[in-house]
Amino acid sequence: MKSTVYRGLLFAPLLLVLLLCKDAWALQTHGSSEGIVVHQLAHIQYLGALAYLFWDIRRSSFTGVGWVYLQRFCLLMMFWNAIAFIGHFSQMSLAEGAISTEDEYLSALLLLPVTFGKWVYYVTALDHLVCAPALFFLFLAMRSFYRSVDRDKREEG
Amino acid sequence: MDGLPLLPAIFLDILGSAANIAFSFLAWRYARLLTRRQPDNFVWGYLYYVTFAIAAFAISRAVGHLVKQFLLIAGRADIWMDISSYSGGFNSLFMISVAAVMIFYHKGVQAYEALDLEAGKLKNANRDLAAAAMQLRDLNQNLEHKVEERTEELSQSEKKFRHLFSESKDMVFFSDADNRLVDMNDSGFQMLGYSREETTNLLLADLFAYPEDIRSYSGMLAQDGYIKDLNLAFARKDGSPISVLLSATAIFGEKGEMLGSEVIAKDLTRLKVMMEQLAASEKMASVGQMAAGIAHEINTPLGIILGYSQLMMDEFEAGSEQHQGLQVIERQTKASRKIVSDLLKFSRQSGSTREEVNLNEILADVMAVTEHTLSLSRISVHLDLGKGLPSITGDPEKLRQVFVNLVNNAHHAMLDMGGGELFLRTHLHEEGRSVVVEVRDTGHGVPEKNQARIFEPFFTTKPVGQGTGLGLSVSYGIIHEHGGAIQVESPVHDRQGLLQGTLFRITLPVEDEQKQEISGSQAGGSI
Repeated sequence: MKSTVYRGLLFAPLLLVLLLCKDAWALQTHGSSEGIVVHQLAHIQYLGALAYLFWDIRRSSFTGVGWVYLQRFCLLMMFWNAIAFIGHFSQMSLAEGAISTEDEYLSALLLLPVTFGKWVYYVTALDHLVCAPALFFLFLAMRSFYRSVDRDKREEG
Repeated sequence: MDGLPLLPAIFLDILGSAANIAFSFLAWRYARLLTRRQPDNFVWGYLYYVTFAIAAFAISRAVGHLVKQFLLIAGRADIWMDISSYSGGFNSLFMISVAAVMIFYHKGVQAYEALDLEAGKLKNANRDLAAAAMQLRDLNQNLEHKVEERTEELSQSEKKFRHLFSESKDMVFFSDADNRLVDMNDSGFQMLGYSREETTNLLLADLFAYPEDIRSYSGMLAQDGYIKDLNLAFARKDGSPISVLLSATAIFGEKGEMLGSEVIAKDLTRLKVMMEQLAASEKMASVGQMAAGIAHEINTPLGIILGYSQLMMDEFEAGSEQHQGLQVIERQTKASRKIVSDLLKFSRQSGSTREEVNLNEILADVMAVTEHTLSLSRISVHLDLGKGLPSITGDPEKLRQVFVNLVNNAHHAMLDMGGGELFLRTHLHEEGRSVVVEVRDTGHGVPEKNQARIFEPFFTTKPVGQGTGLGLSVSYGIIHEHGGAIQVESPVHDRQGLLQGTLFRITLPVEDEQKQEISGSQAGGSI
């Protein structure tokens, strides 16, 4: 008997919402700018996660060259996140017509005069110079761990 | 138009994207190998998911970039415009995923580390336990080794003391608080004449010959806790006493109560007899010297009395009262001279001849003379004459007199008993340097108190008129003149036990020693 009453009380608000609604206030619209916001927030979150990992590795006093490589990965990836974050803003702030693509795409030019905003855009467009080495260090770290484990196994065996 | 060419950025974007895919997948591959190599390692699991998420992110990003670049190069910007939102969406999604995996899984790693720490502690504890167990095992092994060593030492010690106890020629025994005999060595049984089976209920009181001795023994033990060199008498099973020198130690319990005693007793019986014989020997030597002096002094007046009485007899008619009186004087003087002669024999100052003598022949001669008399008295004679007995050098007459004396004494000892047995035995001494003659009877024996005196001159237990008490003295003197010894044993100790009667054991040296002795005695003077 009691359980029936409790179940009724639980479902009562749901029934009220479904039966007596006038406007769907709970539904939110997502504008086109939301994508870049989410993306930038994702960069911040990624940077934070990397910072946390970096801090934790140092705190844990792990030994071995693999952990050194992993720390370098974190630092470079954090740096890349910062570059990418800035790069996205600089791209958005770039005025229309700042890039000429009249001839073809491969001969596109960042038109003069080169302002600070344009320089930032240009530099941050080269973000793979940071991103690729970061992933290279990640690869080195994993390989180092594997070799270390492999060596230990062989020594035990 | 002038401007900065974006071509480097475009190429870098293409190459970087490809490199990103390659590096991220290589990293993921090694992470995957790590998890396969060590599936239980949570850190490798974490890195596997992180690299996986990064690889997914690299794919989403790099593919997006490559597609964008190639579409733009191909002049199909319109297509890119249509799909760029999806590419960007996936890109954001995977980036968030990477961050999420990195953080959330890392929390798991921390939990794993905490667990690993605890596991490490447990492992350390296990290792400590194992080390402790190892130490304990070593300790046990060491302990076992020590126990074995101690057991061996104890065993050796027990053997040593057991050997000391069992092989001791002295009596060793233990008694309990109730003065019951707990254990005794074989020498003890032999000394007392008991067998081991008979001692189950043997009391100390059974061992002591005199009740006052057990009282003084118990009193001294209780008072001092030990007894040192107590001379007392034990009783053999047959009741005969043996003289022992006893040392004992009381055994006390933890509360100081007396649990019993451990006793060592040395049989002094033989020593005592020897001491008595030594004393008697010295006494005999003194008596002999005195007898020799007296004999010399008396011999001269006796000769004069005999000479004058014989001269006077010529003066009177035979059968006259005076003649008869002189005959009495002559007869008694001769008797006195016989006594004096015997005394001189005892003191070894009578003349002797020297010739080779076969003792078996001497004994045969003696038996030929005495056998008839002995058989009349129902005394059976057992002759056990050793074969190949070496000859000795001596005076056959004097030696014959010695054995006649001993046989006569045996005869007298058995006469009152209406018969008996006489054993005559000769044999070579174990060392081969002397001949032993044993004369044993089954008569009433010689009381212990008389044994030291029987060789004294004029000592006799016969009624007055039946003996002069010089027979054994003379025998003693003759044997000693021959460098030998004469011993008496009564009752007789035999393999069968104690035998009633008396045993005279005469030991005479063969060859050189005996000759020297005789020549020595002759050099000392003669009548």
